[in-house]
Formats: sequence, structure tokens, C-alpha cells
Amino acid sequence: MEITGVEIIRAAALLGAGICMGFGAIGPGIGEGFVGGKACEGIARAPENSGLLTRTMLVGQAVSESTGIYSLVIALLLIFAV
Amino acid sequence: MKKAKKKKIIYIILAIIILEAAVSVGLNYELQIGRVDGKFVVRNVKSKESIKERIDEEFQSDTIVKIAGRFPVNWNVIKVILAVDLLIILFGFFVYKNVKLIPTKIQIIAEDLYTFFRTIVTDTIGEEKVHFTPYIATIFIFIELCNIIGLIPIPGNMEPTRNLNVTLGLGTMAIVLVHFFAIKEKGLFPYLKEFAEPVFLIAPINIISEFGNLISISFRLFGNILGGAIIILVISNLTRYILLPVGLNMFFGIFIGTIQAFVFTMLVLSYTAVAIK
Repeated sequence: MEITGVEIIRAAALLGAGICMGFGAIGPGIGEGFVGGKACEGIARAPENSGLLTRTMLVGQAVSESTGIYSLVIALLLIFAV
Repeated sequence: MKKAKKKKIIYIILAIIILEAAVSVGLNYELQIGRVDGKFVVRNVKSKESIKERIDEEFQSDTIVKIAGRFPVNWNVIKVILAVDLLIILFGFFVYKNVKLIPTKIQIIAEDLYTFFRTIVTDTIGEEKVHFTPYIATIFIFIELCNIIGLIPIPGNMEPTRNLNVTLGLGTMAIVLVHFFAIKEKGLFPYLKEFAEPVFLIAPINIISEFGNLISISFRLFGNILGGAIIILVISNLTRYILLPVGLNMFFGIFIGTIQAFVFTMLVLSYTAVAIK
């Protein structure tokens, strides 16, 4: 069986998608965990503000999730567009 | 007695999941249960369409229909959006039809939603900008209904937010409205001056960052819903559609759907607050 150039490009694209998703998930994971932990501390210190803290936590997590979503988009492009 | 019963149920569920993992041999196979040639069989057979074709289906292939012979629309998406619109209109109609001092059940839901968003808006933008509440609440209700309507098991009933065109449209609407309100609030010249804020050279970067907002807000919704759908498909296929997909649908449909709708709403609100303050 001979491996053609097209197949090599396809394999590289799939490998790139996996690497992209794997490394892209590190940052959001750490960031969201950090935000969640800090929000827990805040709620433990001031339980009467828990509603505001939860809302702010969700928005902060969503913003730090952006890079993960970008890497998902790149991975989808690599899988389906290359 | 009750605790022992609960433990038993958990053991049964675990046993079923382990059994599923044991009988599943691969992604491109499916479970066949029933009578074949007079014999009762439970076995894995190769499925007619491969997993790749099914994932491709999840991307909502376009079926272009021309309305009035001229305007091409993607009917797969439009029909679900129209259903969501109909639900919202019916909800509003039934609430508005009999508003009472002692509220009915449906009126309590509407009042609760409105009060919740009024509190958020007054906390974020200020007491005098309370007229933003209907806009913000409508965005939330629409996206929430779009995200959870995929739970209804009808063929072809997919979340409209799974399509990038829908989320890009929503994001564009939100960002354009943010700039419209900013111009209305500050006047055209101070608004334009803000782009060249610290130094004039930085203006192109500021303009690009506005597009960054649009991209991130719409791709976040799209990526979360589509990613959830693909995970549900692959894991349900591995477990042969027994038991586990219910929990997955609950998690990705209701929990993630609500969180993402709320996040979209809160981000639109914060952009508006930054722009008009």
C-alpha cells in the first residue's frame, strides 16, 4: 500500500486537530477552576452576596472559556475543511 | 430499608453501564435485538451509515427552500425558530389575556422572570435605564427555548443555535444594538472619539476588538451546543442508546443550555453597560 501526499495531509490535519484541542483545553480548565475556587471563597466569606458572586463567576468563566472555544473551532476547521 | 433500596438501584445502573461497555465493540456497530430467521438474537451488527456520516448530519446540512420564489432560506433551521417564536407568542398571549391581582401559575412565571432581569439590569446599568429589561429578557427566553427545544425527540428537530448562522445573527444584532445605544447616549462625535482613546494610533486595534467581541460571543454559544450534540451522539453510539443518553441529554440540554443562554445575556448586558456609561 502506498501512502499518497493527500493522505499525509489528511493525517496531519487530524493530528493537528487533536493537539489543538488538547492544548487549548489546558488554559480554560485552569482559568475556570481558579474563578470557581475564588467564588467559593467569596461566598464563604460573605454568604449574603452569593447571587451576585454566582452571576459574576459565570460571566468570568464564560470569558475565560473563549480560548477553548477558539481551539474547538480550529479543530473543527482542521477536521472538516482541510 | 430505603437506603438499601437506593444502593441496589445504583448497583443495577452500574451493572448496566459495565455491560454496555463490555458489549460495545466499536463506533461503527449497533446493537440488534429481536427475531432473525426464527432465532432470538442479541448481537452487534455493522450499522448502515458510519459514525462520520452521522456526525456530518449533526452539522445541519442545508436544505434550501425558496420563499415566494426569491428568498432562499434554510428550512431545517427556520422551522424550529418559527416553532420557538410561536411558543413565545403563545406564552405572552396567555399571560397578557388575564392579568390578575392574585396571579395564576403562568403569571407567576412571567413576573418572576421579569423581576429577576429587572434586578440584574438595575444592578448593572442603573436605575434610570430600566427600559432595557424587555430586550434583555427576550434574548434570554429566546436562546433558552432554542437550546432546550432539541430535547423533544422528533426527527429533524435540532437546536437552531447549533447552526452558526443563527448565533452569528444573534451576535451581530446584539453588537449593532450596543453601538446604536452608544451613539444615542453620547452623540456621534464623542462616540467616535472613544475609539482613538489613549492615542490615535490605537484606533484600528480598537475597531478589530469590537469584531473580536462579536466572534467570541457567537462562537461560544455555537461551540457549546454543537460540542454537546456531538458528545451525546458519540457516547450514545458507544453505549448502544441504553440509559446513559437520558442523563447526557439532561446535562447538555438543560444545564449547559441554560448556562450558555444566561452567559450570552449577561455578556450583551455588560457590553451595553460599558458602551453607554
